[in-house]
Amino acid sequence: MLQCIFLLSDSGEVILEKQLTGHRVDRSICNWFWDHTNSQPNSYKQQPVIASPTHYLFQVCREGITFLACTQVEMPPLMAIEFLCRVADVINGYLGGLNEDSIKDNFVIVYELLDEMIDNGFPLTTEPNILQEMIAPPNIVSKVLSVVTGNSSNVSDTLPGSTASCVPWRTADPKYANNEVYVDLVEQMDATINRDGVLVKCEINGEVQVNSHITGLPDLTLSFANPSILDDVRFHPCVRFRPWESNQILSFVPPDGQFKLMNYRVRKLKSTPIYVKPQLTSDGGICRLNVMVGMRNDPGKTVDSVNVQFQLPPCILSADLTSTHGTVNILSNKTCTWSIGRIPKDKAPSMSGTLVLETGLERLHVFPTFQVDFRIMGVALSGLQIDKLDLKTVPYRFYKGFRALTRAGEFEVRS
Amino acid sequence: MFPQFGATAESLSKASTAVFRIGTDAHLYDDPDDVNIAPLLDSKFDSEKCEALKRLLALISQGFDVANFFPQVVKNVASQSLEVKKLVYLYLLHYAEKRPNEALLSINYFQKDLGDTNPLVRAWALRAMAGIRLHAIAPLVLVAVGKCARDPSVYVRKCAANALPKLHDLRMEEHASAIEEIIGLLLNDHSPGVVGAAASAFTTVCPNNFSLIGRNFRKLCEVLPDVEEWGQIMLIGILLRYVIARHGLVKESIMFSLYNKDHSNLDEDEHYVTSKEDAGYATEKTVSELTRTIFQCYIEGPDEYLSRSSSTIKVAPKLDESQYTSCSNEIVKILLQCTSPLLWSHNSAVVLAAAGVHWIMAPKEDVKRIVKPLLFVLRSSPASRYVVLCNIQVFAKAMPSLFAPHYEDFFIHSADSYQIKELKLEILSIISSDSSISFILKELQDYIRDPDRRFAADTVAAIGLCAQRLPKMAITCLEELLTLIRQEFLCGEIRSLDGEEGVLIQAIMSIISIIKLEPAIYEKVIIQLVRSLDTIKVPAARAMIVWLLGEYCSLGEIIPRMLSTVLKYLAWCFTSEELETKLQILNTITKVLLCIKGEDSWTLRKIWTYVIELAERDLNYDIRDRSRFLKKLLSSNLESQNVEEENGESQKKDQKRVVAECIFGVQTKTSTVPSEPINDRFYLPGSLSQLVFHAAPGYEPLPKPCSLPNIDQYDGSDKSDLDEVDDSGTSGSSDEENASDYSSERSISGSSEVSGSNETVSGNEGENNDDPLIQISDTSNVNENQNGGDHAGTSGFSDLMSTKSLESWLDEPSKSSKGSETEQSGVRRSSARITIGNIGSRIKPKCYTLLDPANGNGLMVNYSFSSETSSISSHLVCLQVLFENCSLESMFDIVLIDEDSSKSVDSTDQISQAAENTVKSHIDKPALVSMEEIPSLEPGQKAKRTLLVRFHHHLLPLKLALFCNDKKFPVKLRPDIGYFVKPLPINIEAFKDKESHLPGMFEYVRSCTFNDHIVKLNKESNSLTEDTFLVICETLALKMLSNANLSLVSVDLPVASNLGDASGLCLRFSSEILNNSMPCLITATVEGKCSDPLIVSVKVNCEETVFGLNFLNRIVNFLAEPPVTHS
Repeated sequence: MLQCIFLLSDSGEVILEKQLTGHRVDRSICNWFWDHTNSQPNSYKQQPVIASPTHYLFQVCREGITFLACTQVEMPPLMAIEFLCRVADVINGYLGGLNEDSIKDNFVIVYELLDEMIDNGFPLTTEPNILQEMIAPPNIVSKVLSVVTGNSSNVSDTLPGSTASCVPWRTADPKYANNEVYVDLVEQMDATINRDGVLVKCEINGEVQVNSHITGLPDLTLSFANPSILDDVRFHPCVRFRPWESNQILSFVPPDGQFKLMNYRVRKLKSTPIYVKPQLTSDGGICRLNVMVGMRNDPGKTVDSVNVQFQLPPCILSADLTSTHGTVNILSNKTCTWSIGRIPKDKAPSMSGTLVLETGLERLHVFPTFQVDFRIMGVALSGLQIDKLDLKTVPYRFYKGFRALTRAGEFEVRS
Repeated sequence: MFPQFGATAESLSKASTAVFRIGTDAHLYDDPDDVNIAPLLDSKFDSEKCEALKRLLALISQGFDVANFFPQVVKNVASQSLEVKKLVYLYLLHYAEKRPNEALLSINYFQKDLGDTNPLVRAWALRAMAGIRLHAIAPLVLVAVGKCARDPSVYVRKCAANALPKLHDLRMEEHASAIEEIIGLLLNDHSPGVVGAAASAFTTVCPNNFSLIGRNFRKLCEVLPDVEEWGQIMLIGILLRYVIARHGLVKESIMFSLYNKDHSNLDEDEHYVTSKEDAGYATEKTVSELTRTIFQCYIEGPDEYLSRSSSTIKVAPKLDESQYTSCSNEIVKILLQCTSPLLWSHNSAVVLAAAGVHWIMAPKEDVKRIVKPLLFVLRSSPASRYVVLCNIQVFAKAMPSLFAPHYEDFFIHSADSYQIKELKLEILSIISSDSSISFILKELQDYIRDPDRRFAADTVAAIGLCAQRLPKMAITCLEELLTLIRQEFLCGEIRSLDGEEGVLIQAIMSIISIIKLEPAIYEKVIIQLVRSLDTIKVPAARAMIVWLLGEYCSLGEIIPRMLSTVLKYLAWCFTSEELETKLQILNTITKVLLCIKGEDSWTLRKIWTYVIELAERDLNYDIRDRSRFLKKLLSSNLESQNVEEENGESQKKDQKRVVAECIFGVQTKTSTVPSEPINDRFYLPGSLSQLVFHAAPGYEPLPKPCSLPNIDQYDGSDKSDLDEVDDSGTSGSSDEENASDYSSERSISGSSEVSGSNETVSGNEGENNDDPLIQISDTSNVNENQNGGDHAGTSGFSDLMSTKSLESWLDEPSKSSKGSETEQSGVRRSSARITIGNIGSRIKPKCYTLLDPANGNGLMVNYSFSSETSSISSHLVCLQVLFENCSLESMFDIVLIDEDSSKSVDSTDQISQAAENTVKSHIDKPALVSMEEIPSLEPGQKAKRTLLVRFHHHLLPLKLALFCNDKKFPVKLRPDIGYFVKPLPINIEAFKDKESHLPGMFEYVRSCTFNDHIVKLNKESNSLTEDTFLVICETLALKMLSNANLSLVSVDLPVASNLGDASGLCLRFSSEILNNSMPCLITATVEGKCSDPLIVSVKVNCEETVFGLNFLNRIVNFLAEPPVTHS
């Protein structure tokens, strides 16, 4: 079981230390960890499981903050990693963003959260809804209140009722004037286009996000028009397995507020909504680069936030790039970003320019990979459709809303 | 132009960040010690306390040691504010182990909180109390956990489950069975949340006590989907282990290959095998070999496996048929059924754990259902992606067909970290099949052009591996590699980019490995490589090509013909080569010389001599050495060729030639892929050990199949707990259960007969009568009496142990008070009272050595605790100290003082001031009321002094300094908790009244054996039966009174008990704690035959819980001590 959790800043400073068991872990382990990490080449840095001379270390990095956990005994490593991810998520949710300052500013809350989330190295309460009832998140009202009254208790003095119920994820008996459920399909498209311009791999990783505000203890069922296209699924603990196994129906008692009901995957899609065609020709120490972006199949909605990003190979000394649409930015670490925004209807935007190679190098032998980003509102590209959403056990009417969104995930074009 | 505006903007932005930080704890973190924390802690406002505690937390998180605030912080445990409480607990748990004495002070508050109506408070108190990790309070924590395990609140029960590993961690063997009992209770809980936590406790505390699982197996399986995700991970592992230990492995699973040594069986349903040619069979064989190794490792643990395989022949302990079960087995079915929906969990750890179960237990054709969920997990966080890939890698090694259709999922994204890229490449090369290899190769070609050259080099290596796996594709791979090499030198001078070199070297290595497969076909490739020597400049790559030339110098027709030209070229550029190339050139020329015969040999020999001569004058000594060695070795060879088959071919020279041929392996054998012994280490899927490649502490392989005894009651769902046939670990507990049932029944029947006579006599206690007086009040209902006596012991026990009564928490006060009432009446009604008269005079307090003459220059100091109590202060304990001069010289100025008193008198003044302020601080400070000095002590003379000591803690010794002849001897005074009390003379009614006010948490029971009376009985073997009882009473009372400062209240004897059976004999003692005058009541009940060692169950009722428990332990210890033979 975990013995200790450290939060490290991006400079290796220990922001927080939380001992979990009687076997104290000295914080000098952080120095070892930091030296070890810095002695590794760059791409090795984020090794999730490290065996140090005294402890096994698990690390998860989020926004420059390293969550480091130590143990000395056998335990499922994924459990430690998942837990650290959960801690990062919860703290992120509480503080509205992760950074060194926000953690330092609210260190007491982080301490209290950690204490509640893990007991003797074993996770205790990790459901964000319940945690919010036990420890109040810092918000403007409480801040002002604490300044005015000088009293700043953020610890609830009663146990959330849901810890005792059979649906531990749900706040006990919320009351709402307007009962409403919003279901969002949020999809990410992963695609790989190889150097020949062939679509090697294209799949959708989607999430069903639900935002529910319903009085009482509702029992919802959600069914899809075409569940057969789903290649694989993962569920929030509230989903019952049986109805899904037999009829592919999602039956659940939702947590209160925003949550992720389900993840799904649809593989082997045939096309992408946009195309990106890079061309590199090099000769005599100069390389010409030309990238074209355009719509392939019109999804019916506008494609916006289009963004192409790539890393210039190390052998390139300088680059001069211009675009017909959008702006091009080259950072000092040779990352080049071309932000296009919305693709215009009439002509395909393109970026072109020259790259100067290192002296002595005739032509380019390594080629960059272009990462593409886009967003399409109102469409789930996988074609998944929600059939209906029913509410059982509660008699009154409620408002339901559905939305869809597709974003680029790991969308890569090689050149 | 408007500088003031700029300034405003700046200050505005500052102000806005300030506003943003208002109300947060930023200022506390930034300068935690800008105010004096101590007075804030003593403040009467919660908000100020909070601020102080927050500052302390900030200091802790910045790595400062603020343990010195401990006493002040502990005081605040009593605060009513939950926030203060929480902060105090956070602080407390951080330092508790460093400051055990002060931590003990908080115990009473925890005890109080445990009775709070708010479950949150109860849970926190339990968590904090268990987290303190002190042996002294462990029994107390155990009691608390036992109670909380029956708490109505799920949250509290969950915390109780989490507290068990904390207790177990203290390694208290005597409590192990009680802890396991509670785990069993919690595993049986109706709330899934509790079951999950209990599963985790089970894994840490008693992972092999499968009887606990067997009882509830079906129920646990049913509840599994509802358990919290973290508990699921643990529970899955437990269920898997249980099924293997109980029912063995599954015949239809991949594990079956362990039993079935015939490889062909394995190959049957792996489709790619059938499409394979003979050449591929070798690799196939190694795959099945590997599979067996992996599973053998799962069962044996790799260290055991490896030691066996390295030692002699691999005699795997073959598992026989009986250790297998079929997948039609009900239990296996249930296990697979209940774990398969968990493959849909959103927690990747749960998915992996469930996949592990299917991997090991599922029939071969069903294993594939784990594939998609595992691949889907790859889409979660990068860290978990790494772990999952590591596990997939092992799965794929053992059963490549499983992942072969899903090769696309292992295609690499540019954002992947290097470790992930490496793993994906390896998996790709493992799972490549005839149908997918063309896609995979295409993909790999793309990677070669990746800017990360190390990754490109790995890709090249992977291409080589693919070619070895699928010989059909070897030519395609080879062509690809050759174009790569051509490209590499096309791009001109390979500059100092080390990555580029790596790619080239790796490419040549891959080519060599492909050529090895079937050198004859690849003759042209070798020629091509040799021709490219001119352009390849990387020394390692050149060396490899040179080696290739030597290795295959006699291959085909063209190579031998070009040899002399190439070797001339090599000799020509020898001086400009790097070290490794030079060495390789030497070797190669020698090899060629040895195996080539015919017209070229003369030229070759000339080249050889030339190169050797060059080498002998090289700057590097390695090369000089090598050249000399070769010269010596081959000199005979050369000579013999000179002499050309003449008669005098000496034996010696011939030998040399043989040696040379051996070393340089002239014969080019068609090598096959050597099936090397598999020396990888494999650990259970999803374990930490699998990631770090060594068995982490606490790693356990799967249990031996069918190692559990076959008992029908296992796996039962509705079986009651009582008729369980258990191993020794739990048998004791079921006994206690019986006892508890029994006693509660009794108490009911007892209360129905309350109207007993109350004419029991208050004995003639004060009288100095030598003859004991036995008064018989009621002869009826003898058994009742016995049970009444028993009850005191068992009711306490049932509180501690009973697994039955969840309700006991709720209606406990009423029940236990009822119990004591009945007991009271029962005793009154039917007991005989014995009065022991002259016992006071026979008490001999035990004598301890403070300083023995050997260490003290002949001064011997002994001390004993005296039964007197100090008139000065209630905190002082009286001691009799006996000084004796054993030396031949006289001694002067003997005095015993507190070691800390060198800190002068003013500090004691402060102490006394502080003592007025707070109760605690003056308990902390030990004090010794200064002893009357002994001016001189003649040889042989003895002196007695009375010492008044204030021990700061009733378990830890007090350090004193003894001065004698101006010499200082540090001595340690060990406290005896038995003298931290003073006698409380009360009568039996008062005793019972007080006892009834101290039920439940304030009552502790332990048993021990008592032997003292046997010696006495043997001495007085001719005495009457009454005397036997009397002797027992006397020895017991004497022992008690000699070791603790008590007053004997009563001695009750079961009236018509059988001869020689002392069961039911009950002695009561009373006392009060010195410093707070709280009563402390002791009841000792005897059980067993008079002539045998007796079981004495001692019960202590005391409000001060820590004290009470330690006191009880002390009593039990001294009772069990062998008797002291009095002179």
